[in-house]
Amino acid sequence: MIHSLDELKTKQSAPENKFIPQIAVIGGGIMGQGIAQTASSNGIEVILVEKNEKLAEIALKHLDSSMNQEIERWSLTIGEKKSIMSRIKTTGKIEDAAHCPIIIEAINEDFGLKKRLFHLLDQACDPSTVIVSNTSTLNLTKLADETNRPDRVIGMHFLNPVPKIPLVELIRAMKTSDETFTMVKEFAETQLGKKVVEVFEYPGFVTTRVIIPMINEAMQVFSEGIATAEGIDTAMKLGYGFQTGPLALADMMGLDDVLMWMEQLWQQLGEPKFRPAPVLRRMVREGKLGKKSGEGFFKYDEDR
Amino acid sequence: MLILTLNCGSSSIKYQVIEAETEATRAVGTVERIGMSGAILTHKRDFEQAIKVTGEILDHAQALEYILGVLLSKNHGVMSDLNEISAIGHRVVHGGETFNHSVLITPKVYNEIRDTIELAPLHNPANLKGIDACSRNLPGKPQVAVFDTAFHQTLPEKAFLYGLPYVLYKRHKIRRYGFHGTSHFYVSNRLYDIAGIEKENSRVITIHLGNGCSMAAILNGLSQDTSMGFTPLEGLLMGTRSGDLDPSAILFIMNKEELSLSSANTLLNKHSGLMGISGVSSDMREIIQEMENGDKKAKNAFDIFCYRVKKYIGSYAAALGGVDAIVFTGGIGENAALVREHVLAGLEFLGVKLDKEANSNGPKERKITTKSSKTQVWVVPTNEELVIARDTIKIIFGVQKVISD
Repeated sequence: MIHSLDELKTKQSAPENKFIPQIAVIGGGIMGQGIAQTASSNGIEVILVEKNEKLAEIALKHLDSSMNQEIERWSLTIGEKKSIMSRIKTTGKIEDAAHCPIIIEAINEDFGLKKRLFHLLDQACDPSTVIVSNTSTLNLTKLADETNRPDRVIGMHFLNPVPKIPLVELIRAMKTSDETFTMVKEFAETQLGKKVVEVFEYPGFVTTRVIIPMINEAMQVFSEGIATAEGIDTAMKLGYGFQTGPLALADMMGLDDVLMWMEQLWQQLGEPKFRPAPVLRRMVREGKLGKKSGEGFFKYDEDR
Repeated sequence: MLILTLNCGSSSIKYQVIEAETEATRAVGTVERIGMSGAILTHKRDFEQAIKVTGEILDHAQALEYILGVLLSKNHGVMSDLNEISAIGHRVVHGGETFNHSVLITPKVYNEIRDTIELAPLHNPANLKGIDACSRNLPGKPQVAVFDTAFHQTLPEKAFLYGLPYVLYKRHKIRRYGFHGTSHFYVSNRLYDIAGIEKENSRVITIHLGNGCSMAAILNGLSQDTSMGFTPLEGLLMGTRSGDLDPSAILFIMNKEELSLSSANTLLNKHSGLMGISGVSSDMREIIQEMENGDKKAKNAFDIFCYRVKKYIGSYAAALGGVDAIVFTGGIGENAALVREHVLAGLEFLGVKLDKEANSNGPKERKITTKSSKTQVWVVPTNEELVIARDTIKIIFGVQKVISD
């Protein structure tokens, strides 16, 4: 009887590509869930780390229900969901992720929190582990300097919804090595199936930096009463071929997050074009956060 | 002399070892979940229970290593030396317009297969990986490519061109290619051997009903028309594929439901067909069961499925100027007597007289019409691997043109 594949080996040969069988994703929010789903749907084992086991399980439940929505929208099948879920394990302990060759961090966009996490990861992980941050506005080089491996720290800026958006910006911090860049680029392209754009670290990279002023201007136009939200989005969609108008896009991103990005960019780049439109501040204060709260510039009906 | 046949998918390899002289299958097996966690190798020798081994298999080359390992293994193997393998035959999904027959894989052929990747982005890259794996693990052994599209390369322009601007055919090779060619070829040729029908002056309709479903209209042994088109989505209703559809409907749906290209693709290929209509299953056996339990949607799915096949029989009979024989094959075609009965009901005007007893029971390969039936209908189990092995043998012994002979 044959019990393991090893008994069948005729000769030992290294696989052609450097295959990463398992990664860890830290943070079970929307981005973390999306990254976990994307990796798992490409056959990669995922360890999803949250502050504790309970939060990790909640994240998994959210992922399950968001995949159910995808099934209802015909973009996923039940079988695919099952096999995606089967490859995601949850934990509340960072140590459980220590052996993974790549660890992707997607926790809240807060420098103090990330700083502490990078320090912890550096202590816990194998020295060869590459630590990846999904930050879109924070200073990656400073985060890298929290570790003893700044050459093996890199940014991967995924966009929401991660499984659907075929792009990832790869961010080189000051000390990111070519080796790390090449390894993560190959991982993103061959294993995750994403198109990579190389970006040198600067606040907002390409995507956030360019879209935010447009969203901000759309909000200004809205608050000046020049056109309705519907009108602004229709004009931009039909006029310039965007799939989603700027205000619906802001609703999808979450207005609180949009506000935070604007403030970060305003602070770091000092340009008034990033100064948040007052209507945005007001809406966030009122708890109108876009799609996730059911109302933003548009209303979202659960039954839709 | 042994021939190894390989059918490589994006994350799987199906293999068979076939003895050239007797055409007997020594072993069959599959490797699934290549490049994923928990890969499975299933291997079976003739007249024995299958064995299963699980573990990590990172790529096609490694999968082939394990396959060769099990073929050589003491308890489950079928050879003592890899040199007993004389050649490898690959099933290649898309041969574009370049290949109308099976060929020896040379560097030039390899590049030409690579050039058709755009037409079959899911399949051809995997086929190339399989070829690479053999070059590495079985260096110097001749390899042959047998194309799913080759048999249909005899379609006349009037059957393969779409009613689109001609420049799109020139620019992107948008046309009907057809698939399952190896199966249509095999069962039609088998028919000439067993039904007393001369290949010359014969009008045959072959119906392959499996996971994917397609039909072919075959005149004098040459494919004249086939139901799958630019991709395997066109034509009959399938397990999860829609088959024929007004192209405007999908544009309308994409707009109304705000679907992306990739969601629309999944909708048509994975959520439609028997599954989409019935909401029960993509498996014909379960559809029939639910239908018999009184499920209306399942009955709907069954009826639409059979009606489509019947409609294509009518149109192919017209295209061929009559029909001498009809062949059913594939998982559903070979096993679902109820489907055959419904498809053939009402075709007496075409000279079909169903023998109900023969339709329900009998050997795997059999005639299911009565003696007085002017048009014969047969059930013929398909055997694509055998065609691949035969073509491989012919080619390595110097016969170049095979499938279109």
